[in-house]
Amino acid sequence: MNYSRNELIKTEATMNQMRNSLYNLVRFMEKNGIKNSTEAFRRMGRNIARTYINYWKPTDFIEISNLKDVITTIYKNVLNSTISIEINNTEKLVIIKDNNCALCKYHYDDVEIAGCEVLLGMISEFIYLINKESTEPNSIFLDPIEVKESRTNGNKSCLQHFRYKISGGA
Amino acid sequence: MGAFQWLMKKITKAFGRSTNSLFYALLYREILKEVNEITKNEENSLLILREIGKKAGYESCERHSGVFKFMPGNPKKILDYFEILWVVVFGSELDDFSYKEIPKEGSKYNDYVLSINKCPICAGYGQDKEDSFDFNKLQGIETEGLACGLCGMLESVANFILKIKRNDYRIQIIEQDCIAKGGESLKFICKIHDYNEWAALSASRISERNTKGIFLDEDTEEEILQETKLDIFDKIQDIISIDKLEEYLDEPLESLKEKVAEIIRDKLNMEPEHFFDYFRNYEDDMIRIIGYLGMHLLNEYGGLLEKTLKNEWFSKIFGYLFKQLKNMTLLFIPLDVIRDYNKLLVSFIEGLAPEEMVDNIRLFSGKDTINYLFEGAQMALENLGIDFSELKENIWEEITKEREDGLVSSETSTADKTREKIPQLINILQEFLMIFNDILTLPIRVIISESHYGIKTAINSVVSEEEGLYGSIKERFDNIFDQIQDIRK
Repeated sequence: MNYSRNELIKTEATMNQMRNSLYNLVRFMEKNGIKNSTEAFRRMGRNIARTYINYWKPTDFIEISNLKDVITTIYKNVLNSTISIEINNTEKLVIIKDNNCALCKYHYDDVEIAGCEVLLGMISEFIYLINKESTEPNSIFLDPIEVKESRTNGNKSCLQHFRYKISGGA
Repeated sequence: MGAFQWLMKKITKAFGRSTNSLFYALLYREILKEVNEITKNEENSLLILREIGKKAGYESCERHSGVFKFMPGNPKKILDYFEILWVVVFGSELDDFSYKEIPKEGSKYNDYVLSINKCPICAGYGQDKEDSFDFNKLQGIETEGLACGLCGMLESVANFILKIKRNDYRIQIIEQDCIAKGGESLKFICKIHDYNEWAALSASRISERNTKGIFLDEDTEEEILQETKLDIFDKIQDIISIDKLEEYLDEPLESLKEKVAEIIRDKLNMEPEHFFDYFRNYEDDMIRIIGYLGMHLLNEYGGLLEKTLKNEWFSKIFGYLFKQLKNMTLLFIPLDVIRDYNKLLVSFIEGLAPEEMVDNIRLFSGKDTINYLFEGAQMALENLGIDFSELKENIWEEITKEREDGLVSSETSTADKTREKIPQLINILQEFLMIFNDILTLPIRVIISESHYGIKTAINSVVSEEEGLYGSIKERFDNIFDQIQDIRK
């Protein structure tokens, strides 16, 4: 009897080779003329969230007051990352800083896209899937904007930017 | 499992960057789907995924080449160590597997078939609608399955080890059965090729890909031809090879004494008796120096101890537990055991040091020896940054409570993060304390068994390998590595 996905949730796997695989995928895409690898990475992240949520979800409802804690929990439980989050209410920005990103570690000269584009897709989809059924007026949703900085690009940490919107709100 | 296999597995797991296994498996699935988006051909997609895995594995090995220099450099042994390859590549334990040797006439090495009943990559595949890679579209009988990328990684790691050990053989790992494809288990066939066969196989693989219109960078195959330089790891291996760890454990006390004598003659250009003569009538200081140097030797590994003790919290915790250890050792360890430990020291220096000095040490009680060792170690720890006068009486109160809603707070300061790690640190140090206690029972076993079966018998005790001292220490180190993993999260 093989493992179930519920069992996989309780175990850990080392990312070294998998992280490298992601950048080899980008090289393969470029060799085959694929220009929008950012969109492909985000699509991968969304698909991961859609499957993952069938086996685990951090909470039943997300609003601005618990947004930071929910994102921190997802990073901790799924990626083993301890992050810091800044919310800019004027520009409606959510900025996640990860000093030990699971998908970005080394600086590559031949790759421009950061591995954590996958996480932009995954986090925004996780939040969408949790709140989509909610009738609460203050449900929050995130749109991925960009990976502002990444260790793949030679920066010290990864900075992932999202824009938030509140349903029925401002 | 041998000591080396166990150690490699634990180190790889404790110090690798890990994520949840489900995330790993889903990311793997998504990579295959994206490849298939481009090729629109399932068979070609699997070929590419294998190549991606191969390149990813090779890249990782190149970054950490030093670690692999301690692995055995013989194809047969590498396959014996398949469990380690699996842990290096996947980071998880290899559960429930069997291993079969298939005789191959006219060849130096046989083929091997590994059946793995639990495959994390295939776990639950097909149950969610995003599992959209369709294995029914595969036509070729010899087509691999979902774990082909993993197969490429394993092949790469195995061949990287053979390359750096300057072995002319290479291993081909093919996925023969796949659970996601409907197989009962994940089955790998491992074939060992000599250099010419391997070169021909590599060329045919490239040509097959080219025929199918798959073009990839082929640098990995060429780099295998390169000669690697001899470096510090090769020099260390001339003296000690970790894969022979178990052989060293078989050496009796007399051989150890001979080795120490050789080192003194070789490095200090003097007879052991003259060397020890310097400490005549200062035997207590000599034992303090052993404790002092022991701590500084620990610190030699990258200055880790000193760096750790620069952190105020770590310094206090370490100091607190050291003090407890010092007091509790004499309370909890039977005096007979401590006396045995002292007898072992006497047996060890007998024949190496002048007779008068041996007699003086014989006069020490075991308690004296332990106290001298602790005094020396404490002096070293003070040098390295522990202020023993400022230690708290109780550090348990620092442990923070978990939140009731199950979420992780986003507002944590550095001090909070350090405090969160205290329970794991305490557990690690407690396990070390228990290991120390276990080791203290070793001397009498060494003395009794020295003339019969060597240190290994003593370590394994009279019951069995798993229940004896070896098993006990292994279990404690298992706990320590688990705590390190928790801290690193």
